[in-house]
Amino acid sequence: MTAAVTGPPSLRNGLSAARSGALRETCARLAEADDAEFGVRLLGNTPTHEARGPEELERWAEAATAFGTELAARAGPHGGAGRTGARVVERDGGLDALLLARYVSRPVPTVELYTDTLALGEELAGWLGWRTWFAAGALRGAALAHEEAHCLLHGDAALRRALRDRLGHSALRLGRLRIPGHVAGADELAAHAYAAARCGLGRTPLLLTAALASAVRALGED
Amino acid sequence: MGIVILLLMLAGVGLMLARKLPTAFALVLLGVAIAAVSGAPLTGKDSIVDTVLQEGSVTLAATMLAVLIGSWLGKLMEETGIAGTLVRKIVEFGGDRPTVVALGVLAVSALIGTVTGSAPAAMMAGIIGIPAMIAVGVPKTTAAGTILMGIAAGMPFELPVWQFFSTALDLPVDTVRGFMLKLFPFAAAFAVLFVLVESRRRGVAHTWSLTSADERPSGGARRRSRARRLGDAPWYALLAPAVPLVLALGFELAIIPSMLAGVLYALATTTRPREMNKRLLRTLYAAFEVAAPPIALFVAIGILLAAVKLPGAVEALDPLVKAVSPANPFVFVLVFTVLAPLCLYRGPLNVYGLGAGIAGVLISAGIYPATAVLGLTASYNQVFGVADPTSTQTVWAAQYSGVSPQQVMVRTLPYVWCVALGGLCVTAATRL
Repeated sequence: MTAAVTGPPSLRNGLSAARSGALRETCARLAEADDAEFGVRLLGNTPTHEARGPEELERWAEAATAFGTELAARAGPHGGAGRTGARVVERDGGLDALLLARYVSRPVPTVELYTDTLALGEELAGWLGWRTWFAAGALRGAALAHEEAHCLLHGDAALRRALRDRLGHSALRLGRLRIPGHVAGADELAAHAYAAARCGLGRTPLLLTAALASAVRALGED
Repeated sequence: MGIVILLLMLAGVGLMLARKLPTAFALVLLGVAIAAVSGAPLTGKDSIVDTVLQEGSVTLAATMLAVLIGSWLGKLMEETGIAGTLVRKIVEFGGDRPTVVALGVLAVSALIGTVTGSAPAAMMAGIIGIPAMIAVGVPKTTAAGTILMGIAAGMPFELPVWQFFSTALDLPVDTVRGFMLKLFPFAAAFAVLFVLVESRRRGVAHTWSLTSADERPSGGARRRSRARRLGDAPWYALLAPAVPLVLALGFELAIIPSMLAGVLYALATTTRPREMNKRLLRTLYAAFEVAAPPIALFVAIGILLAAVKLPGAVEALDPLVKAVSPANPFVFVLVFTVLAPLCLYRGPLNVYGLGAGIAGVLISAGIYPATAVLGLTASYNQVFGVADPTSTQTVWAAQYSGVSPQQVMVRTLPYVWCVALGGLCVTAATRL
C-alpha cells in the first residue's frame, strides 16, 4: 500500500496529452504577440477604460512601460524589496486566488510571494522552452522587483506625479487650465516594466502571467 | 394570546433565518396566522380577507411606485453612462491617492443611494467603483464597505424610504424628512470616518494578478464597443441623481413627481429626441425586474402591518410589549442600541421584515409615538443596510470585491452601530 502524495499541481503529471498540447498551442500563440499588446490588454482589463480606443491605450502602455524601465535604470543594481524596507513573506494559496505576489503597506510594508504560483511559473517557463526569456529563478526576482516598484510609487508623490505627467492624460481642460488625469493600471504596467528591466527578462512578465493563467485553467479542467 | 402571537413571530424568524421560506412569503403567512389567532373573522370589517389581505397588500402602494421609479432612474443612469462617468471622473481626478478615490466613490454611492437602494444601488456604484478602487490600491474589504457605507449615507435622502416610513408609520412626509435631516449628519460622518480610518489602518494593497493580461472576452468586447459609442455622459447629465432630491428637499415637491422629474432630466440630457421613446420604455421594463423583489416585500410588509393593527392583536400584545419597552430616554437608548444586531441575519428587528410588524405593534398599542418608532426603525435601517450579511447589497458588494459578507459585516458594524446610537439619541431627545 502506498500513501497518496499531494503537492502543488504539476504540468508533467497533471495534464492529459490533449490538454498539454492545447496549452502549448495557447502559450505559443501568446508568445507571438508583441510585448506592447500585453500592456494594452492590461489597461483594457482595468475598469474605467471601457470607453477608450486602442490607440489611446497603446500610447499610455508605451509611456508607462518606458517610465518603469527608466525607473529601474535610475534605481541601480542594488535593488530588492529590502531596499525599500518592505518585509518579504512567503505563502501558498496563490493558485486558488490567481495571485503571484502582493504588496500591502499596512501594518508594515510587506511583499507577499505566493510560492505555489512561483513554482508553477518556473516549471512552465522550462516546459515551454522560454528559459532564454525567463532564466531559472528570475520569476521570484521579478515578483520582488515588481512589488518594490509599487512600494517606491506608493511612498513618493513626486514619482507618481512624474508618471502622471508622462502619460499626458487630462481629466479636465478649461481654456488654458489643464488638470492632469490619473490613468488606472498605468502604475501596474510601470511595475512590470521595472521588474523586466531589473531582472533582465527577455520578454514582459505579462507574457508569463498570461501563460500561467492558461496553465492554471488547464490544470483545473483536467 | 399575546404569547401565541410572539411564538408565531419567533417561528417566522426561524423560517426566514433557516431560509425555509423567502422573507416575503414568511411575512404573508405570519400576517394571516396573527389575524387568525387574534380572532379576526374571515370577511367583513377587521377581517383576514378584506382587511389583512386586500387592504394590507396595497397599503404601501405609493412606496412600491416610488421604488419602481427609483429603479427606472437607476436603469437610465446605468444605460446612459451617468453612473460610470461619475466613477471614472473620480478616478481620473484623484487616482494616485487611494483615500481620495474612496471618498469620491463614497460620495457617488451616497448620491446613487438617494435615488435607489439595496442591490441595484450597490451595483450601479460598485460595478465600476469597486474594481476601480481596488486598481488604485484600496483593499478589497474597504472597497466593499465604502460602497455600502456610501449608500447608507444617502439613505436618509432616499425618497422611496421617506414614502415607506410615511405610509407604514402613518406620518406626514414632512415629519419623516425632519428626522432624516437629523440622521444624515451621523450617517455621513461615520461613512467618511470609515474611509479615513480604514484607509489609515489597512493602507494600500497591490496585487500581481494572473488575470491581468487575459485576452478580453467577446462579451467584454461588446460592452466596450457600446461604452465607446456612448462615451462619457455630459457634465450636466451627471446632476441627474440630485434632481429628485433638490425638488423634494429644496422645493418640497411630492416624492413621485420629483422622481419623475429626475427620469426626464436624465433622459433629456443624454438621449437624442428620436431615441427617447425607445429608451424610456426599455429602461422602464428593465426597472420592473429590478424592483420586483422590494415590491414583493412591501406587499408582504403591508399585510403584516394590517394584521398587527387588528384590534384583537393590539389587545393581546399591548400588555406584553408595554412590560418590556423602556420609557426612560436613557434606558431607551441603551436597550435599543444593545439590541441593534437583532436586525442582522433577517432578525426580528429587521425593518424590512418582522421589524415592520413590531413597529406596527409599538404604535398601535400606543407604547411609543409614531415619531419615536420612526427614529428607532430608521436608525436600525442604517445597521441593516450596511452590515447584514444576508442582505442582497452586502452579499453582492462583498462577493464582487472577492471577500466574504461576514468580513464586510465585521469591518462596518462598529461604524453603523455608532450611526444607530446617534439616531437613537436624537429620537430620545426629541421624540420621547
